[in-house]
Amino acid sequence: MKIRTLKLLVKEGANNVVKNKLMSFASTMTVVVTLFFLGIILLIAVNITSNIEAMKRELRLTVFLKIDVSPFHREEFVNFIEEKKEAGIITDYVIISKEQMYEDMKQILEDEVFLKGLTVDNMAESFEIKLANPDDSDELIKQISEFRGVNSENGIGYGKDELNKLEAILKVFNYIVMAVLAVLMVISVFLISNTIRLTVFARRRQIEIMKYIGALDSFIRWPFIIEGLLIGFIGAVLSFIFTSLAYSWIQNVMNVILTNLNLATLSILEFSPVALQIFVIYSIFGVIIGGIGSFLSVRKHLNV
Amino acid sequence: MIRFVDATKVYSNGVVGLRNATVKIEKGEFVFIIGPSGSGKSTFLKLIMHEEVPTDGEVYVNGYSVHDMPRSEVPYLRRSLGVVFQDFRLLPNKTAYDNVAFAMQIVEATSREIRRQVPLALGLVGLSKKAKAYPNQLSGGEQQRVVLARALVNNPAVLIADEPTGNLDPKTSWEIMNLLEEINQRGTTVIVATHEKSIVDAMKKRVITLDRGDIKSDEQKGIYFNED
Ligand SMILES: Nc1ncnc2c1ncn2[C@@H]1O[C@H](COP(=O)(O)OP(=O)(O)OP(=O)(O)O)[C@@H](O)[C@H]1O
Ligand SMILES: [Mg+2]
Repeated sequence: MKIRTLKLLVKEGANNVVKNKLMSFASTMTVVVTLFFLGIILLIAVNITSNIEAMKRELRLTVFLKIDVSPFHREEFVNFIEEKKEAGIITDYVIISKEQMYEDMKQILEDEVFLKGLTVDNMAESFEIKLANPDDSDELIKQISEFRGVNSENGIGYGKDELNKLEAILKVFNYIVMAVLAVLMVISVFLISNTIRLTVFARRRQIEIMKYIGALDSFIRWPFIIEGLLIGFIGAVLSFIFTSLAYSWIQNVMNVILTNLNLATLSILEFSPVALQIFVIYSIFGVIIGGIGSFLSVRKHLNV
Repeated sequence: MIRFVDATKVYSNGVVGLRNATVKIEKGEFVFIIGPSGSGKSTFLKLIMHEEVPTDGEVYVNGYSVHDMPRSEVPYLRRSLGVVFQDFRLLPNKTAYDNVAFAMQIVEATSREIRRQVPLALGLVGLSKKAKAYPNQLSGGEQQRVVLARALVNNPAVLIADEPTGNLDPKTSWEIMNLLEEINQRGTTVIVATHEKSIVDAMKKRVITLDRGDIKSDEQKGIYFNED
């Protein structure tokens, strides 16, 4: 195909979009709505994932020593932890001394009554250990619990199981999201192909005339496909704008909610760092939806 | 140029459109196809442009074996033909000029060729002044002139017209027929299906008469038979 023909066909396709305002509007809105859902679901998934990742990074293994631990057993354990740190399994750790623990307890239990029985001496020293890889935790916990200085009955804590549950839920959520998206895509391809079918129908006289004067099938087909691609792209741009507006609104609302619920450790991602990705995804999906939609209807109803 | 060899067209409902037609039309001829309504005139022309395919026999047009031709080649056959219909068939959203230019864009002509050829074609049919008018701003005769210009602009070897004057008054009909003759004198083969008795009788061209799908007669300088 020659460049000037391509130009002509693109122009015809663009003209069609402008001329069939109602059809174009309907198809564009289909794309807008589909992509909007796609984007919001995607952003929710990204937020959940990033929060889980953040929690994982912040996850600490807490180990309490026995209250009456001997200096020797304590030393034994500290050496072990240091070794593991050298080996890179433990990234970092802090020791919370008996005195510190007492101060903390005082903070938490402001009421003097509760403090009466508490002295520095019935506090236990504890270690907060950060793992390089949370997957090493089971092995490490097993080793730690064998130390005589460690309160292995109920002094070892790690929140990994809860996170694993969360991750499992997230996985299921992702599958559901994908299924919903697939259905949405099919619906919007169907809707677009229907609107393009109507424009094909509206122009069947013109198509017939083009065939009589010897137009190649591709010459007849391309303006419709370009029409679909354009509608898909315009829909993507509009949907992107709506999504960014909606997201910043959701972000504000969520931040207020999270602050009120004292869940400030959870954070809602900013839109700008993912804006480009979202825009690219929207454009690709929009163009695919539009292109496939018009291709299908042109093939089926144009018989060219 | 155009050769029918024992060509038969039976439509899917069993109606015979054309039966065992054998006929040859040479380059540069002017031929009228006449006959009562339903006698097969349109069928004859449709076989030439591959709108219908013969159910039996052969049809050769401008070097194409129309009876046995891949779909992908049909556009090229059509480009070697100019077609004119009773109901004009112009693109309503394009001006006269653009309608004619469109036929050239389809064959991927350069814009220079288009700027040169389109005014020539419009000039030939006497419509230079209405180049910017849209079809609904033109009379029937003027619209048919635009169609003629469109059919001619790519210099087809053969021009096919199916009742080109069917919707026009006698005076305009004559003008169109004279144009067709002029086109023929420039070397284009012209085949016209028509009911215009007086015009056929006056023009003294080759006349192929059809009757219920059969070729009833084929005469040089023929006249219009009485239908009874
Ligand atoms: N697509 C079709 N399907 C079935 N039968 C058809 C079809 N087209 C034409 N026919 C039949 O074939 C016969 C010849 O039709 P055709 O159109 O060739 O006649 P015609 O001579 O052009 O008539 P008119 O002068 O009315 O235009 C008629 O009996 C017609 O009913
Ligand atoms: Mg007819």
